Amino acid sequence: MTNHKLVVRDLSVTMGKKQILNHVNFEVEDGEFLSILGPSGCGKTTILRILIGLLAPKTGTVHKDGVDITKASPSQRGMGIVFQNYALFENMTVLRNVEYALRLNKETKRQARQIAMEMLRHVGLEEHANKKPGKLSGGQQQRVAIARTLALHPDIILFDEPMSALDVDTRMTLRQELKDLQKTFKTTMIYITHDQEEAFAMSDRIMVMDEGVIVQIDTPENIIRNPADDYVRDFVIRNIQLKIDSLSRFAAVPEEGTGAVE
Amino acid sequence: MKRKGSTSVKLLLAAIFITCVVFPLIQMFLNIDKEGFLSIVNNERFGTVVGNSLKVALVSTVISVALALALSFSITRSRIRGKGIFRTILTLPMLIPSISHGMGLIILFGANGILTKQLNLPFHIYGFGGIVIGSVMYSFPAAFLMLTDVLNYEDRSPYEAAEVLGVSKWRQFLDISLPYLSRPLISVVFSVFTLVITDYGVPLMIGGNYTTLPVMMYQEIVGLLDFGKGSVIGSMLLVPAVVAFVIDLLKKDTGRTSFVTKRLRPRKNGLRDGLCYTLCSIAGIVVIIPIFTFVLLTFVKRYPLDMSLSFDHVFKTFNMKGSTYLINSLIVSVAVALVGTAVAYLTAYCTARMNGPMSRFLHLISITTMAIPGLVLGLSFVLFFKGSWLYGTLAILVLANTVHFFASPYLMIYNSFNIINKNLEDVGATMNISRPRILLDVLIPQTKDTLVEMLAYFFVNSMMTISAVSFLANVSTKQLSLMITQFEANRLMECSAFVSLMILGVNLVVKGLAHILKKQLRKKKAVNLQNLEVENNETVQVGI
Ligand SMILES: Nc1ncnc2c1ncn2[C@@H]1O[C@H](COP(=O)(O)OP(=O)(O)O)[C@@H](O)[C@H]1O
Ligand SMILES: [Mg+2]
Repeated sequence: MTNHKLVVRDLSVTMGKKQILNHVNFEVEDGEFLSILGPSGCGKTTILRILIGLLAPKTGTVHKDGVDITKASPSQRGMGIVFQNYALFENMTVLRNVEYALRLNKETKRQARQIAMEMLRHVGLEEHANKKPGKLSGGQQQRVAIARTLALHPDIILFDEPMSALDVDTRMTLRQELKDLQKTFKTTMIYITHDQEEAFAMSDRIMVMDEGVIVQIDTPENIIRNPADDYVRDFVIRNIQLKIDSLSRFAAVPEEGTGAVE
Repeated sequence: MKRKGSTSVKLLLAAIFITCVVFPLIQMFLNIDKEGFLSIVNNERFGTVVGNSLKVALVSTVISVALALALSFSITRSRIRGKGIFRTILTLPMLIPSISHGMGLIILFGANGILTKQLNLPFHIYGFGGIVIGSVMYSFPAAFLMLTDVLNYEDRSPYEAAEVLGVSKWRQFLDISLPYLSRPLISVVFSVFTLVITDYGVPLMIGGNYTTLPVMMYQEIVGLLDFGKGSVIGSMLLVPAVVAFVIDLLKKDTGRTSFVTKRLRPRKNGLRDGLCYTLCSIAGIVVIIPIFTFVLLTFVKRYPLDMSLSFDHVFKTFNMKGSTYLINSLIVSVAVALVGTAVAYLTAYCTARMNGPMSRFLHLISITTMAIPGLVLGLSFVLFFKGSWLYGTLAILVLANTVHFFASPYLMIYNSFNIINKNLEDVGATMNISRPRILLDVLIPQTKDTLVEMLAYFFVNSMMTISAVSFLANVSTKQLSLMITQFEANRLMECSAFVSLMILGVNLVVKGLAHILKKQLRKKKAVNLQNLEVENNETVQVGI
């Protein structure tokens, strides 16, 4: 288990009689952008909750940098999480949202403020520092959540469908910003989405899931060249193809097949 | 991941509920013996009394709900002015004990009543008719509040769609309004029915020889000290409340699913508005007249012989320990407000912000308290706590009222917690922010207005209740509200009137303060789309 950032072995979860995760194995590389793609209810969120320690698996282990963290508490894992619904502290200002955890985690007041402002600058929100989150747009609120997470310098950030509630334009901008932040902070990112196109546009590798198992985990290119089975072909590639087709019609670009994705 | 702290808090709360709700009720059931049961059931009076209770409750419920429907439609589906004032006036009866309503009727229509004499009325109010009128006065405001709440949140989209399709107004009412209302209406009907059938205040005051079950229970216990028979009747009074509760529980799935509905905006319509205005005005006047008679009786030297201004009755009331009882009531009400709010807040925090079987148990038992009529709770407490140090203290009154009025404030804060982002504690866990910190720094600041609402609810109801406390109070812990019967029995009607007035005055002040506070808190709360919170999560449920 040497060089991997994260090694997940034999993860299983049951709720009542229902098997939610079924012996899941995968690795995540340092600095990688890994998307988890799959239909609603296939167990994506469950994996994330186990990785960050909000849920204990029935069986299986999670190693980070070679250390077994299966039983570590969420705050000891050096990971951050960003939810679809932002989960901001509505009664606090944007700045306070970002510095709150820093203050509680023993930073001095000045240091905390300095770090918080710096993070807000990274997500382009300095001038909104003193507003309440409710005054901001959805995209801006999600940026606050990202800044709040970055402030604690996690080496892995988990995203649970962070853009599902946002409009298309915002999503497109935020995609690029997220990739830039990853470069700046050299953070490993694990990113849940059920939007095939988003996964293909952003990821180094994609993990395709169905009903609690991993169907395929590979680079976007390889998934398109060699889909593991009919499920991947139908669910993942066909959807992408449809989008490309409809877009190319408007753009009047001659159809190029799969090449457009890369 | 397990947390020891929260588990022990939940265990503590469960222990409190089991001691203050489950055990006392069991004690009451154990107190039923075959002999007492047979002697009650075989008593020829018993059949009549049950019949009386059912008749009164049925008729009152029909009138009360019909009136509430008409009034809530008038308020929510018209463009009349002064809606706020009407709303305040129409809910004034919720601030005084049921027994005061009976008294108001006697002052107006009794054998020597103001109107009886003035108009030479050929009838008197005692008996069935009086009980029904008094019960309606006392119960319709609750129904009115629940229905305005429901109607206020009706979505206008279906009506707009119907309009486009050319569906007639009448069909819109039948096909959209009625189905929307039917479920809440069932709850309203059952709560009003339970409210009326378990009340002893109105029938005791105005029933004359027309006895109902709660009056019979009151007489068995207060008059004859027969706890066995009291327990039998108490168990029977539990039946309608439990039925209502179970029905409510079964249809629980339809909450307010989305809180960002497009509100209905009634169009201009002179005729309709005129009718609504007239209806609300008449109802408002009818509500105010009895209260006005309290003022008249209190501050006039000797109605109707000497109409000069006088404070004799005020002094007399205070000379007869009125001030002691007022202070008793204030102490208990403040304590109930603080203790009740704290416990309800903590319980709802455990049930709304945590999962697990223990949370579900706490939730279930919290809302179960709704199904226990005050008289029954009072009797159970007598039987269970007799002999303990609590018995005969103000503390046991605080405990009884807290349990009695627990469900509504609990549901207020439970609903508030549920619309706050569910992932806050998860985010906290990943950032080393503990649950208590999130509670203190995030949840409490966001629920201040609900807290104010809860405090006011506990206080007001504790101030006016006559049910649970009636068996538990003794000479030194007596409550102001219980003086009404005592003065009336001694033919001191003026003092009774003054007592009702004091209760109303105190409650009005508290309600007013709460209103101002809430308004300020809302102004501070940033205009915030996610918190387009239920703008009046006011007393939707009613303590029975
Ligand atoms: N607390 C829970 N109790 C029971 N079943 C759950 C619970 N949480 C999730 N599930 C079930 O587990 C499955 C996977 O859920 P989830 O990981 O949230 O899926 P996804 O994020 O892929 O939509 C779903 O079928 C869901 O119904
Ligand atoms: Mg999910």
